[in-house]
Parts: sequence; C-alpha cells; structure tokens
Amino acid sequence: MPPRFQLGAHRGVSPTNFIIRCRVRPQRRFASSSTETPEIYDVVCVGGGPAGLSLLAGLKASPATNGLKVALIEGQDLQKNRLQKDASLESFSNRCSSLTPASVKNLQEIGAWRHVHASRVQPYQEMQVWDGVSDARISFDWESARTPFIPRKPNQPTTIAYMIENANTTTALLSRLEELGGVDIFSATKVDSIELGTDTQQLDMSSWPIVSLSNGKTLAARLLVGADGANSPVRTFAGIPSRGFDYNRHGVVASLQLTGPGWGGLEHKIAYQRFLPTGPIAMLPLPGNMATLVWSTTPERAAILKSLSSNDFVAMVNAAFRLSTTDLEYLHTLSSGQEEEIAWREKHTPTNERSLPQRVSSVQAGTVASFPLRMRHADTYTGERVALVGDAAHTIHPLAGQGLNQGQGDAAALFRTISHAVSTGQDIGSTLALESYNEERYAENNAMLGVCDKLHRLYSVESGPLVGLRSLGLRAVDAVGPLKGFFMGRAAGGA
Amino acid sequence: MRSSRSLYSLRAIRQSSFTNSSRSLRNAPVARIAPVQTLRHSSSTPNTNTNKTSTSPPPTPPNSSVDPTEVTHFNALASSWWDPHGPSRLLHLMNPLRHTFISRCLNGTPHTSKAPSALPTENKLRYLDIGCGGGIFAESAARLPTTASVTAIDPTPSVLAIAESHKRRDPTLTSPGRLTYLNTSIEHLPIPQKPQEDAYDIVSVFEVLEHVSAPGPFLEMAMKQVKPGGWLVMSTIARTWTSWLVTNVMAEDVLGIVPKGTHEWSKYVNEAELRAWFLERGWGRIGNEMRAQGVMYIPGFGWKEVSGSEEWGNYFFAVRRPVEQ
Repeated sequence: MPPRFQLGAHRGVSPTNFIIRCRVRPQRRFASSSTETPEIYDVVCVGGGPAGLSLLAGLKASPATNGLKVALIEGQDLQKNRLQKDASLESFSNRCSSLTPASVKNLQEIGAWRHVHASRVQPYQEMQVWDGVSDARISFDWESARTPFIPRKPNQPTTIAYMIENANTTTALLSRLEELGGVDIFSATKVDSIELGTDTQQLDMSSWPIVSLSNGKTLAARLLVGADGANSPVRTFAGIPSRGFDYNRHGVVASLQLTGPGWGGLEHKIAYQRFLPTGPIAMLPLPGNMATLVWSTTPERAAILKSLSSNDFVAMVNAAFRLSTTDLEYLHTLSSGQEEEIAWREKHTPTNERSLPQRVSSVQAGTVASFPLRMRHADTYTGERVALVGDAAHTIHPLAGQGLNQGQGDAAALFRTISHAVSTGQDIGSTLALESYNEERYAENNAMLGVCDKLHRLYSVESGPLVGLRSLGLRAVDAVGPLKGFFMGRAAGGA
Repeated sequence: MRSSRSLYSLRAIRQSSFTNSSRSLRNAPVARIAPVQTLRHSSSTPNTNTNKTSTSPPPTPPNSSVDPTEVTHFNALASSWWDPHGPSRLLHLMNPLRHTFISRCLNGTPHTSKAPSALPTENKLRYLDIGCGGGIFAESAARLPTTASVTAIDPTPSVLAIAESHKRRDPTLTSPGRLTYLNTSIEHLPIPQKPQEDAYDIVSVFEVLEHVSAPGPFLEMAMKQVKPGGWLVMSTIARTWTSWLVTNVMAEDVLGIVPKGTHEWSKYVNEAELRAWFLERGWGRIGNEMRAQGVMYIPGFGWKEVSGSEEWGNYFFAVRRPVEQ
C-alpha cells in the first residue's frame, strides 16, 4: 500500500444523532411498554449514510432479495441534506471522498451511479506523494506503473479514483431507492430504544431486536443493520466492543479555489499529498479550478488554522506544500500576519512549482472545519440478528482515503451474504447465515486499518535513520513500475 | 471443526462427537439386514396403519423403518440441535447445498406440455421432509418464497419438541399451514389416494438412510408420497474403505471395544446401489431425472461440491417420479 490520498470521509460525527437509550445487557421486556405490537421487518437499517443506503439499494435492485420487507431509519432529514439539482459548480461541500473504481463499479451494479451529478465528480489520473522532511517523492499514474516492454492494454484503467462530494453519493443512492421503491423510510426520526422482544404463547421474539422510534412506532427486525456511524447505538445494543485510540490529530478540511485547473489541465487531474511530521496534507482535485483540502495536524494547530483570516489561511495552505517543517512550526505560533511572513520566506525557498499543486487563490466561505482522527475496530461485525457496516464497524485514519470505500465494500458483501441466505432459506438474522459476511470483511478491513495506522506512525518521525529508510523505500517503489502497479491495484480496490 | 476429522464422513464425525451415546447404541442388540439385500429383494409391504398421536412416540410396528436405538441417540442430541457451534454445526453448514442441489434438479427438468403436474414455476411447492430432526432443512424449505407448505416428520419426540420450539422464533414459519411437524414415522403417514393432488412435489430424506433398519421398504414408502413429476431427494454416505477402516477395523477388530458385527457402517448405502434400485422400479430412466452430487467438508472452506466424491463420501441423490406413473 502506498500512501494514498485522503478522502474526506469526514464523518467525525455520527450521521444519525440518536438519543441513546439502548440497553447493553439485553433484557426481556414484559408488559412495561404499552406500545402497539411491533411491525415485523426482514431488514431494519439504522443510518442513512453511504453504507446503509448502498446496502438497501443493493437489496431492492436484486430479484433475489427485493421481496424482503425493509425499513430505513435516519435521524436527520434526508430530503433537506440532498444536493440541489442546480447547485453551482463554483461551490463545493467540504465533505468529499475519493471513490475507488471498485466502489464506483458497485454503485453502477446497483443502478445508483447514473443518478450522480456527473459534472460534480472529478476523476484523477495521477498522484504525487512526498516526504516533507527528506523530499523523497513517489508519483502514481497507470502509465508509469506498467511493466516495461509490455504494451499498454486498451482496457487498462487511467483513472486512479473519483473525487465526489458525500452529498452527491447519498443523493444518488436516495434517488435510486425512490426509483426502486419498497423501502419504508423513517427520515428525521430518531431511535428511542432498542430492546429484545418477548416470548409469548404464539411467538418467541426473544432474539428479535425491537426498535422504538421517536414517532411512536416500533419495528421488529429479523436483521438489524447498524449503519449508524462511529458511535453506533446498534453496536452498543449488540454488546459488541469497539477498540482503538485517538490519534490526537484533527483533520482540517476546506473547499479551495486554485489559480488554474492544475498542471495537467482539465483532462489530467493530479492529487497531491505531502507527509509532514504532524500529519499529511492533501489537495484533491475537484471540477474546474476547485480542490478540496484535508490537512491532518495537531488539535492546537487545527484551532489556530481555523481562527485565521481567509488570506492568512490561504497563505498557510500554500506554505504547507512548499516551506520547510521548521518554517511551518514557526508560522503556527503567530496569531495573524502569516500572509506577509510567508511571502518573504517563499522568496528564499527554491521550489519547482510544476511538482506542487497550483496555488490556492481563495477559500470558499464557511468551509474551514475540522474533525478528530480516530482508529476504531469492532471486535466482530455480526451478532444474533445484528450486522454492522461502515463507520459503525471501523473508523480509519483518512490518509489513504479508504473510509467510505470500506463502507461500500461492507454493504456489497453484506448484500451477497443476505442474498445467498434468502436463496437457501436461511434465517438472514441467524449468526450462521451472517458468518460469511464477517469472514469476508473483517480481515480485509483490519489489514487496511493497520497499514494506514503504520503509515501515520512512520511519517510522524522527524529525524533519524527512519527518515532515510522511508525515503529509500519510497524511491525504490517509485523506480519499479510493476511493484507500483501492484500497490495501485490494491488501492483501487481491485485484485 | 478440528482438521483431523476432515476426511471422515459426516456420519463418523457425529459418532465421534458422541462417544458415550454411540457406544450404548452400538452395544444394543439390533436386528439388521444388509442394505444391498434389502434394496434388491425387498418385498415387505409398508404398514398403513395411521395411528397418529403427535406427542408420544408412535408404537413401533414389527416392520417399522425406525430403529429404536437411533431414537435414543437423537434424544441425547436434541438440546444442542440449534447451537451454531454445537455438534450439529456441520449439518447447518451443509444445508444451503441441499437447496442448491434441489434447485438444480428442478431447473434442469424441462416442464413439457405432456407433464401438466411437473412443477410449473408459478405453482408453489409442497414439501415432505422425512426424519426432519430439529428442523434444519424443514425450516429453510418453509422460508423459501417458492414454497407452499412443508410437512416434516420425525419419530424422536424430544428433537421434534426442539423443532416446534425453534419454529416459534420466526413469524414466517408460524403462519398457518406453512410448516407442520408430525411426531410420526413414514409408515404412519396416509398414502396419497390421488397422487396428482395430495402427494408432495418434493420428498426429502436427508441424512436418514443410514439410520433406518431397512432402506428398501423405507424408500418404497417414501416413493408413494411423491407426486408424479415430483422429486425424491436424499443424502447419505457411501460405504467406503475410510469409513470401514474407522468404524469396523479400528473399533471392533483392533481395539475390540465394540462387539463384532454391530456396526452402523453396514447401513451406509452406495450411490450405484441406489441408482440400480430406482431403475428397477422405473424411476429416473430419462436423462437427468436421476442425479447425484458428492459433497465434502473442507476445514476453513466449508462444504464444497466435489464431483465424483459420491462414490466414496457424503452425497446428495435425487430421482424424479415419472410423470405418467
């Protein structure tokens, strides 16, 4: 795995703001609750983010599973968060993701990709990654990654990944769900509680999660899907521990306007990432002259960056790709006036502008924000009548842009598991039926979490032999085309 | 599953998991006819006495297919039947493959105009599951959207109680007529008088053949329950040198822990014997109306279809009742 680009799956906050009243220890509910008899569903998905929506669209798009009775619960208003049809191409959300070709293929297969606002999607063909301490550099593009003397195959991809606003992805998935129909959507509805059902004379629902909603409805779930973000109430209900740590880093995001469309023009877009000891800074291309920023740094520096005037913030972003780490350290100690200070220092720092992202000219108002970086992994993705997808199962360092793609991979795998269970008459909520989902996804996600964590640690080192070694490694990979191709293939989500 | 068991047949696994009950079972005096003989020369008529009491074990008629020691054996297994990591785990894991096999049988048979009753796809299917145990197959068949009803029978009262209790956990299964358990054996089931109407589209006999005293008469009774154009589907284990080595030579001759000649191994039925037996009775004479598929449990990968392994291991076998019979 090479260092890949940041996504901004900036899902620092859970997509659904629940009132958490879930009981960790399952308790049987007797006559305590006087609510109506719960309505029985095959799949109840809590959370209308990209992973949950992708799963539901997959279930409804397939003849094998579209007979399932399915509900979606989302705390926020799904309609209000939709991307407007006439949205301006001069303005982009600061929550963007880098979708791998594998994720895009999945979205195509479930019929959602044709609903995206294509003019707001930016494929990129090249990545430039370098070490902020030693300047060792690696570039990724499919042309330099090929094996020498073997002619390029016509079907060989040229696109590394696609930059897309998260709102664009979810809007496309919602449009697809509306087109397919058959999903009971409870939007702007919170989950009040999740409890296990009761054993009556006729039915033993003691293994079934009963979800009580803020609108007074109760749903019984054959399979309860937790697509409800890093603080997943569904995971809490299932009693599945999630382990990990905080990086003591924040990701600063912003939507930026550049002085041009990039050195490769509109047809050859380039993504840039520089590893600084405080964390990587990435500039990812959007349509036209727009770009999105993800800058991982300490919480203190993030606070300073967010407090700066637009001009000083723009100067700091330009400086972060150009000046030395010593200069940057000093600049973060100033409360203002970075613009002038940087202008003077840049005069004395020789740079090759064509190897750097084009200069930022302005920052879109109201888009500078930050979120804490965490690493979390649930002990398992499945329990009896429970499955976790996306951030509910894992939270990853954004340096490789894999968070949202992992969620899409989860959704596709869970769909396959459910589909096989339905066609062979298995109870889709049974732990036996769900086993294959956990087997397929856990190890793969765990490996990706580990790689990104190690990269973060490797590049946090400012001096000493490690800097030399990592630079040597980067240069070695850069020099060997097929090796680079292997890394790029893995990063693209393919085999 | 422990890898040392990988090459053993499913039957062997079951026995080794339950050494105690298996031992008492092996020591019990059991009258038995060799399966080959039974299959070839069976002439006994099934008992049509329909003395059905659903809770107490049915009285065992003199020529019953039910082996009383087997009933005891499965009583001991009952409580762990639905434990996904219990001794029935291999059966649970095998279950999806049964459906794949049945689908292949149904899809591989052209529904000609000459065969009006031959499972038209718009009509839902009626299943009879003989020896349903805790209901692993019966439940899954009843859940399929293409299923009209499942009748599942078993002579062991305690496993059937487990099946009934587990059924209550799924509202789909408790809808009236969807899944009916009967504590009975095949000879107590009424023989359909108008097979076109009241017989079953699919009669399943999974992992049962190796537990009955006389497979020939047993299968003849099962055949009467199949609708013309319907399928009799079964699974069992071939009598092989591996299973023979483990159960006969080791246990009886070398270790001497079991009296000679009492072994279950002789109940195993080979695929070729079944094939010949059904052909003699006019079933499965056309093309793909008789099918077999060997399956193997490979640790780390689960159950896999292995073509040709029907000759020496676990296998599925299906035969179609001729439309005009």
